Amino acid sequence: MSKSKEELYQERLKRYTKAMQNEKPDMIPIRPFVAEFTALYAGYTCQEVTHDYEKAFLAARKCAADFDWDAVVGNMVYVWTGLTQAINLTYYATPGIDIPPDVGFQYREPPEEKAFMKPEEYDDLIKDPTDYLFNVWLPRVSQDIVPPGKPTTFRHNLAFLKGGMAMMQYFDALGRQNQLLREETGTVSAISGILKAPLDILADKLRGYYGLARDLMERPDKVLAACEALMPHLFQVALSGADPEKNVPVAMWMHRTSVPFISPRHFQDIYWPTTKPILEELWNKGHQTLLYAEGNWDFHLSTFRELPAGSVIFHVDRSDIFKAHRILGDRFCISGGIPNTLLSIGTPEEVRDYCKKVIDEVARDGGYIMDASAIIQNDAQVENVKALTDFTREYGQY
Amino acid sequence: MEEVKRKPGACIPWEEKAKELPPLSGDPELVRRVWEEVDFLGYLFIWHCLVSF
Repeated sequence: MSKSKEELYQERLKRYTKAMQNEKPDMIPIRPFVAEFTALYAGYTCQEVTHDYEKAFLAARKCAADFDWDAVVGNMVYVWTGLTQAINLTYYATPGIDIPPDVGFQYREPPEEKAFMKPEEYDDLIKDPTDYLFNVWLPRVSQDIVPPGKPTTFRHNLAFLKGGMAMMQYFDALGRQNQLLREETGTVSAISGILKAPLDILADKLRGYYGLARDLMERPDKVLAACEALMPHLFQVALSGADPEKNVPVAMWMHRTSVPFISPRHFQDIYWPTTKPILEELWNKGHQTLLYAEGNWDFHLSTFRELPAGSVIFHVDRSDIFKAHRILGDRFCISGGIPNTLLSIGTPEEVRDYCKKVIDEVARDGGYIMDASAIIQNDAQVENVKALTDFTREYGQY
Repeated sequence: MEEVKRKPGACIPWEEKAKELPPLSGDPELVRRVWEEVDFLGYLFIWHCLVSF
């Protein structure tokens, strides 16, 4: 008799959580972070899955149903541009509006002189981050929201009203999506909650990378103080979205704060002292964190060993997965490491060969989750994603 | 810029709001709890704009 979807879900949840605890499950869990690939597979355009989240959800569920995956993200095309349009945010290029319909959405970083936060505003951010965001930052990143002291407008009022209601609608829908994944396909929702390191947030949305690079040289004390001011808020946001069952991890998206984007000294003096306590506090509350380490973090692998064993899952993008396993493997689960270029321009045979090498060298004792290096977009070949999946199922049995 | 430093999770802290209210004849804890829960939605809105969108 075939298993019920709930039995399948429980089996997959056990497999996934056991691997994340750096133990050996019955087989290697497969947890691909599929973004615009879902559109390619389900026959949608990037515009459709970015602007109509129900289509994105359907595409994710279709992939979950057709591939034998243990866990996925309910919608890895994470920006619903209906919401960003409601607030009239300036920093997204939306498929079908700003860029061609079959191109994934883009983040547009302003030039340094037009950064969303000016260098002389550090003290305002440090004094009261929430106030700064509402009154200074949001009016700069939205074309409709006006700052305090300026005449209010119809569009200003609507941006807050529609933005707030749209955000609530989207988060409610995501909750339903996770439930549908469980009921329809027995698939685990891979992550819950979001975290970014304070220094990454400064680079991403406030000063921009160039501005932050300059500030690290010209006003490092202010940068540190700003990161310290952001810490409790970023922790609060992460905790508010964390899995109440404490099964799946909070995801921390790590962008441009590794060497050589910043210096080793800035990493040790600013990044790590303002990131490590957040990870430790989440762990104290029973939540693991997935370190989604985009780019190459080889320089910092030894530093991550300072974290409590089992508190994080280290995801490999361009880091050396074999080195990451040697340095971290006794303490933490490793995920990813299958190059996206291989999924895009390689052959199924090359994909299988690479998966074999990773499984042989990294997954032998458990504590490994199969995934590509970075999120899988619509450049990936379906046959290559299928090769990754089928080979891991066949060869990844313990 | 206002002088009030908001704690994480709050936009308009209950202590600030309570000063605006007349003496409460009913359950003050109920009023505080509901104020803070709804206020938290405003907090999540701005911080998710920064972190998630």
